[in-house]
Amino acid sequence: MSKKNKIYWFEGVTEKGVKSLLTDENSKYRWLRPQRNRRVLVTLMVVGLIAVAMGSYWPNLKTNMNLSSGAQIIVYSVTAIFVIFAVLVGYLFLRISVRGIGDAPDELLDERQIKVRDTSFRYAYYAMGYLIAGLLILMLSGPELKLFEPDGNDGSYVIIAVVFAFSSMPSMVLAWRERDI
Amino acid sequence: MSRNPEEPVYNRIEEARVALGLSRQELADMAGVHYQTIGYLEREEYSPSLVLAIRIAKSLNQEVSELFSLTPFKKGK
Repeated sequence: MSKKNKIYWFEGVTEKGVKSLLTDENSKYRWLRPQRNRRVLVTLMVVGLIAVAMGSYWPNLKTNMNLSSGAQIIVYSVTAIFVIFAVLVGYLFLRISVRGIGDAPDELLDERQIKVRDTSFRYAYYAMGYLIAGLLILMLSGPELKLFEPDGNDGSYVIIAVVFAFSSMPSMVLAWRERDI
Repeated sequence: MSRNPEEPVYNRIEEARVALGLSRQELADMAGVHYQTIGYLEREEYSPSLVLAIRIAKSLNQEVSELFSLTPFKKGK
């Protein structure tokens, strides 16, 4: 008799999904587990998030690249799709690398895992605070952002980057800090 | 007033586990924790709660006081 797969709506995970990650069911992702590889992944995620955010400042960059109008649109669209997709894949790998502990509910974790997850959230909260403060300073002193407007600096990419950062920050902290066993 | 840094808890989990011929995974299943947590405990990088200490001691057929100590264990004892 198959047990019902409980959905944790608040965390956005399922019981089977979390248990599968925690028990290392899929050995093909084992290469993600060593701390060195996790740290490389975190670094790539940070680079990816910065690249996504830079999409909002593309109009300034593309004028410096002397691209023709048609080429601009193609390069802009393809680059944007590629970078966002790469960050999404990075986010999924990041969750696998920390066995989904960053998003798992208490009842599926043991006491040490709950402790390291909570500590990661504390550091992630600080990191997001600094990130938001930095963005506010950039918005006040940097090039003007016009949210969701086709001309000028469209701020939607900054928002996408911040949403990605919010959802991945606890796993990034966990991936960086958790030592190998 | 701030709390003191966490006091290390020394243990003989690995010694007792190996003596019983158990793997980390088997002990983890018996104690109801992840196998990594057993690894952290054995390396004394994590201090267990009283409940977990009792569960591990019971799984290894030992008393908590025989398995855990606030001072390092003497070698061979």
